[in-house]
Amino acid sequence: MENSNKLTQFTSRFPSTEIDGLSPMANSARLFLSGNDFPTTREERFKYTRLTKLSNAQLDNSAVAAVSDYRKYQVCPEAIPIFIVNGQVYLPETNVPSGLIIDNISSSKSLPSSSMKDVFAAMNLLHAQSGVCVHVAKNTVIDAVIEIVHVCTASYAGFTRNHISVGENAQAKLVMTYASEQTKACFSHVHTSIEVGKHAHFNMEKVQMESSDLFSFSDEEVWQGADSVFQINTLTLDGNLVRNDLHIQVQGEHAETHLNGMYMLNGQQHVANYTTVDHQVANCESNELYKGIMDDKSIAVFNGKVFVRQDAQKTNAFQSNANVLISEDASVNSKPELEIYADDVKCSHGSTTGQLDDEALFYLRARGISERGATQLLLTAFMSDVLEKITIPAVKTKVIKTINERFNWELNL
Amino acid sequence: MIKIENLHASIDGKEILKGLNLEVKAGEIHAIMGPNGAGKSTLASVLAGREDYEVTAGSVDFDGVDLLELSTEDRAREGLFLAFQYPVEIPGVSNINFLRTALNEIRAYKGEEQISAKDFMAMVREKSAIVELDSKLASRAVNEGFSGGEKKRNEIFQMAMLEPKLAVLDETDSGLDIDALRIVANGVNKLKSDKNATIVITHYQRLLDYIIPDFVHVLYDGRIVMTGTKDLALELEEKGYDWIKESIDA
Repeated sequence: MENSNKLTQFTSRFPSTEIDGLSPMANSARLFLSGNDFPTTREERFKYTRLTKLSNAQLDNSAVAAVSDYRKYQVCPEAIPIFIVNGQVYLPETNVPSGLIIDNISSSKSLPSSSMKDVFAAMNLLHAQSGVCVHVAKNTVIDAVIEIVHVCTASYAGFTRNHISVGENAQAKLVMTYASEQTKACFSHVHTSIEVGKHAHFNMEKVQMESSDLFSFSDEEVWQGADSVFQINTLTLDGNLVRNDLHIQVQGEHAETHLNGMYMLNGQQHVANYTTVDHQVANCESNELYKGIMDDKSIAVFNGKVFVRQDAQKTNAFQSNANVLISEDASVNSKPELEIYADDVKCSHGSTTGQLDDEALFYLRARGISERGATQLLLTAFMSDVLEKITIPAVKTKVIKTINERFNWELNL
Repeated sequence: MIKIENLHASIDGKEILKGLNLEVKAGEIHAIMGPNGAGKSTLASVLAGREDYEVTAGSVDFDGVDLLELSTEDRAREGLFLAFQYPVEIPGVSNINFLRTALNEIRAYKGEEQISAKDFMAMVREKSAIVELDSKLASRAVNEGFSGGEKKRNEIFQMAMLEPKLAVLDETDSGLDIDALRIVANGVNKLKSDKNATIVITHYQRLLDYIIPDFVHVLYDGRIVMTGTKDLALELEEKGYDWIKESIDA
């Protein structure tokens, strides 16, 4: 009964991709999926994430509700906006700066070869419906922020694929926003490949604020050239089942990689961050800092892997994950991992999970600050180093506003 | 100002305060001395509302308010200030931000207007001078990386900012060298008025050379067993506590 498993039932509702650039990878994706079912918790990569809710979800992508005003989901008002609304791409209406090319992904003749790390990656290759290509020409500095806004509404289910290339000695900043409205049984999977050229600088803020009844999967596959600097901040503020897969291959010497994450969860949210930094060459540095606050019955998963290959001497790799649980029922599964095959490296990793310091709370209250105010001060302090990594002020403002609304706080930073 | 009657308090089922009586009037400074384990810090903790302690009997009237009925923050808002024996380091929370939050919450409680940023900063400059606290320390994270002396000066700086009716100094002299001790004591003296009061809890007489108490009480085995003037402190310094223990236990 190979053909009637839950995965084949699931995929049957998605049309085949019409993105030509993906066709060279189609066969291997088909092969990967053949006979495969949804991963179970026996598989390491899904050990803490049950997919039964997704595999049993009544998804019906034939009647997708219209989005009343998708423009309001843009986080950065000054940005060059690209909207992807239920899979429909809206390119910028005004001229973009020279050296910046934004187009539909279907126009791209060749796309980087993608790794088949799980069934979702394979499904994306076969069923990606749309997406954008953003190319920054070499030696170009784009001052304006580029923002890709993904919006989905009731009963949308689909795969999106983006490709970003930042040419040699170029610089750009991008905000990747995920929003939704009136979602009921929505599923979205977005794959983004990112090539950061030699000596290029690329900064990305991933802002996730989809509503709490949406299955949101997204992955980024990154290749870094020599002397490049790449930073990504993954800011998860909402969502039902959110899964982030970040895979970075550091392929050129003297490259710098910064990956930071912040997740603020409540209700029954489940947010999983899987990251891999693969140091393949010598003299590179990576810094990873993920922090989370969990309330109610929320669950967070952090699985961070750092590979230091045999040739990657003089690597400096640091990884840290810290969590604060503010409810008895919240939980965290944190697994930092280092695999080192070189002998002259500096690497460290660590993970902490705890509650707020009672002594500090008492101290603040003894000065007249309410328990609620004291809690907020301490939580803000806990998050402050990750918040400081956000380089775009509009993003920071939005993050704080969203947190205040969701948790009924009055943070003022 | 404060009237403590027959106060009994225990922690983890062990009774520490066993019927403590104390009355402090506005304008007065009271010193509470006693051997280790007598219940000095317990008294400070119970007054501030530390939840680990259970009050099993007695009453505390604070300027007409039943103190024991109030939450920790409301006690502070009513004008009680505890200078901690071991001030807590709070990384990431700036001293300034924390104090402005505290000051504004106290003002809101009293139905007063929020302090403007300009007035607040002027106040910080004025009050930090009282304890010779570098204004750089005022803008750092609460007590983080402060020396022992700086932490205690920061306590008195906070006291100056919050202008309490009653300050309880819990072993503020512990760990201080003579210079820091003098600075801290000067700060306390400068803040003294006929409208506020201070309870100085200490093991040693030394601090009382600088902060002159109106009354000295000896706390032993959970009760005030002796009350005198500052001469009692000198006598304790000279003779230790054993003679008191002996006279009580006998």
